[in-house]
Amino acid sequence: MSSRPAARSHQAAVIRKNLENLFLYIVLVLVAVITVFPFVWVFFTSFKGVTDPIYSVPPQLIPNAPTIDNYLRVWQQLPVWRFYINSIFVTLTIVVLNALFSSLAAYPLAKMRFRGREAFFFLLLATYIVPPVLTSIPSFVLAVKVFDYYDKIRSVIFPYLAGVLSIFLMRQAFKGVPDDLLDAGRIDGASELRIWWEIVMPVVRPSLATVAIITFVEQWNNFFWPSLMLHTREHMTLQVGLVALQGAFANDARGIAAGVVMTVVPMIVFFALLQQQFVRGLTGAVKG
Amino acid sequence: MTSKFSITPYLFLAPALLVIAVFVLYPILAVVYYSFTDYNIVTPPVWVGLRNYQQLAKDPIFWQALKHSFIYLLVTPTLIFLSVLLAIVVNRKLSGIHAFRALFFIPVISGSIAVGIAWRLMLDTNGIINGMLIALGLLSEPIQWLAEPAYTLPIAMLLTIWLGLGYYMMIFLAGLQNIPEELYDAALIDGCNNWQKHWYISIPGLRPQITFVAVISSLAALQVFNEIFILTGGLGGILNSGVTVVFYLWRQAFRLQHAGMASAIAMVLLVITLLFSMMNIRILERGTEAES
Amino acid sequence: MKKLRVFRHFSLVLLTSLILGACAPATPQTVVQTVEVEKTVIETQIVEKTTVVEVEKVVEVTPTPGPHPEAVISGVEAGAEISLWTFWLSPTFDDYIKSTIARFQEAYPGVTVNWEDHQATFQDDLRNSFAADNAPDVINLSISEGWVSDYATQGLLLPLDDVVPQDVVSTYFPNLWDQQLVDSKHYQFPWYQGIIVNLVNTQILTEAGLTIEDFPKTIDALPAFCQTIKAETGTLCDIRLTVNDLLAQMTYEGGVQVINEDGTAFTFDSPEAVAWLQLYVDMVKAGTVDRNVLVTDQDRVGLDLFTTGKAAFYNTGPNLIREVRANNPGLYGYLAVVPAPVGKSGVVGKGLMALSVKGDTAYPMASIALAQFFSNPRSMLEFSKIVSIYPSTPASYDDPFFSAAPVAIEDSAKPYAKDAVSKLADIVPTVPHKADVNNIVLQAAQQALFNNVDPQQALTDAVAQANALLP
Repeated sequence: MSSRPAARSHQAAVIRKNLENLFLYIVLVLVAVITVFPFVWVFFTSFKGVTDPIYSVPPQLIPNAPTIDNYLRVWQQLPVWRFYINSIFVTLTIVVLNALFSSLAAYPLAKMRFRGREAFFFLLLATYIVPPVLTSIPSFVLAVKVFDYYDKIRSVIFPYLAGVLSIFLMRQAFKGVPDDLLDAGRIDGASELRIWWEIVMPVVRPSLATVAIITFVEQWNNFFWPSLMLHTREHMTLQVGLVALQGAFANDARGIAAGVVMTVVPMIVFFALLQQQFVRGLTGAVKG
Repeated sequence: MTSKFSITPYLFLAPALLVIAVFVLYPILAVVYYSFTDYNIVTPPVWVGLRNYQQLAKDPIFWQALKHSFIYLLVTPTLIFLSVLLAIVVNRKLSGIHAFRALFFIPVISGSIAVGIAWRLMLDTNGIINGMLIALGLLSEPIQWLAEPAYTLPIAMLLTIWLGLGYYMMIFLAGLQNIPEELYDAALIDGCNNWQKHWYISIPGLRPQITFVAVISSLAALQVFNEIFILTGGLGGILNSGVTVVFYLWRQAFRLQHAGMASAIAMVLLVITLLFSMMNIRILERGTEAES
Repeated sequence: MKKLRVFRHFSLVLLTSLILGACAPATPQTVVQTVEVEKTVIETQIVEKTTVVEVEKVVEVTPTPGPHPEAVISGVEAGAEISLWTFWLSPTFDDYIKSTIARFQEAYPGVTVNWEDHQATFQDDLRNSFAADNAPDVINLSISEGWVSDYATQGLLLPLDDVVPQDVVSTYFPNLWDQQLVDSKHYQFPWYQGIIVNLVNTQILTEAGLTIEDFPKTIDALPAFCQTIKAETGTLCDIRLTVNDLLAQMTYEGGVQVINEDGTAFTFDSPEAVAWLQLYVDMVKAGTVDRNVLVTDQDRVGLDLFTTGKAAFYNTGPNLIREVRANNPGLYGYLAVVPAPVGKSGVVGKGLMALSVKGDTAYPMASIALAQFFSNPRSMLEFSKIVSIYPSTPASYDDPFFSAAPVAIEDSAKPYAKDAVSKLADIVPTVPHKADVNNIVLQAAQQALFNNVDPQQALTDAVAQANALLP
């Protein structure tokens, strides 16, 4: 007698769970559609030939006669592969060196006592609020008149080799490392550099990953400064090249679409493969 | 710890300090100087005293830009709200959830420029947005989305939200996954339903992430440029409807060749971000203290 | 541990390569040699330059008997390396540019030419390159957008008055040579010209119940025309304001005097100016124009609207018909070409493109030679044969190519081209602080067009602001 109400309530719970899941799936699909729709549209547009209308009512998504003409046209006119290589080179260099320099700088701020430590730290923190665009005018003058690297790739690397956010995050991470580890190393007579490299750095690897990812996303998307510096096609990074593409194909929406697809798809594939690492890296932001 | 003087800390600091000194500290000083000059980069600067600031105070477009930048701050609470919600939805073991998470991250991966270009094509007067709305019968005539002053800023803000959703969702997701299960179990025993569970546990548990996101998102909102540039070309929107402080700075410096005036604008921006950051840092410090 | 070592090695390598890369020597500054140039009398086989010269100069020997007929500029620096920037010519005209450069190098052996083409970002790139001190030696500037006087007033271009021989000057249409003068000095070689026409989408016209003959002959007749088109077909007019040079546009279209005779006060709030602005305000209010196109600074955006078949006409040169053909072959089939409406000034337009020389170029004579070469009769004739642009030199029109009957629609302007080009003139006075004043006018125009401000009020305020910039 007592089993039937229990079975019924169990059934009710299962149904409620399923409804809940359905509701969640609907929400997820809705958000996914909104998120992905522009890419889908651009993707299909890039395959439309000149006779396939892209502006029509009712709108036509799928091309009638798909063609890769647009891709060929863009490929011939713009060095898209160079945009990629430049972006990859710039971003990787910055990610590695920024992590390196910031970790170096954060170590004494977290683990050493010396004159002016607090002053340094607050000075650094204060520079965080300086908007990048503010520094662009004098940096432009510097680039042109002092360092002579206008229109050269290193002009978009040097300014980003140290970042206050990275230093701050690494300092937080270092603070979490127990002093005993360091003392043990010091007793053994190791230099601070060795302690830093061999003892402390491995411990804070998750935070390093976080810093790397934040820097990566920031630099990959960086447009303002590179657009001021890089004007020869072969030197452009991806974002600057994209704008050049939009200008070069201003009355050719299909060409623009092809160019956008060419620049976006490889990144999506890359990310899809490394998805786990990305999420794990961002998890580090919490612990840091 | 030794008490004798050691050069080691300074050596560690040296590379980063050098970069920051050259690319941040020196420019600040230079910009302060330039803001009192008339400078077009090609010929040497000419001292003009406070004239740039005086002109700025009387410049209606500058005030408009300030207003727009402050309005833009509205994206931050919106983003936080939507991202937290999304993170909560995505934080469960449904089948295929990883695919959804990856999909939401695609705008971040593609970059604001690529996405902005795609949006611009879609919002064209004869573009697909109008096409769909007309086909559905919601519109009789196409709307010139990017030529209506009232729509320019909201569209840009929407783009920013759209771009940031996946990124912040990931951060909040990581945060949620760090909240110990026991807290949720305890809540269930106490009789909390789903919504109360999130309100009393998830959201307070996300405090550090929320403050982190609030800081970087609001600073980014005050300094937005890419979205405006891509959506409005060099114009900034009809009647300067999309002009934000950074866009106005860019226009003064690199379109009209008034680097002195642009430097004055930069100084104003610096003061604003300083005030903002002081507020944020105080909250951040308090939060970190609470944690430890 | 192994991963760490790899990481360490990798970062060391990266660091090293970065440092090595950064230590690359900077390009050496080229030394400008001041060279006295005399006109040489060209005789027989050896072309000798009588110049006061440093040790390195070499006596040029031409391989062919007789001097190269196109080498009309003397004193070209030997071993010169100059750069050329063109505007929106690549990739369509790659072959033409390259073959012309090759011919130039035959005429002036020893000169190297580095060619770059820039499109939508041309202005930004050029400004940045001037600021960076590595602007190109020879620059293709747009007369129609007013770029020559822009850069000349900043002192960035080379004045040509005393360095270009008179017999070279006389090869051009006088009206075209005398364009965009700053303080009565010349700063450009007129290059390829366009006949401003309107490309017409005859399908939309028929739908609106109109014929080609109904197409307006004057600017003032445009609003009514657009009204009919909108009413009958629902399409908007595809009209562009040259937002970077509204002063010029109101001069041509409205017959407006923008600054007074002695340049002491601006006068673009006159009744003519107000009438001109009112024309556009009325069209915006009536909703007969596409706003995006109206205020875009990219000509191609307006072209795009027409190419997609959504506009009845577009004001441009026949040379852009090739874009229409490439992007919408269907439209090409029912395209028509009519002369552009004339404004109150009676002058249809100014020239199209020019070649200028950078002011502080290290190789002035070589640069002048290149600019002159591209704009000489033969080069321009060859250019005209591959696209419907028109030469700035009367001699080119003697070629049978121009007297042949037009075949394709792109050539329909050929018969009257010489006449039309000879009448192109620059009627805009020199405007001080041109970029700033035009920006002020643009803001005022937007207030009138989109914010219900009375045009007279907007223009009067703008004049006050502009006058404040004058000394």
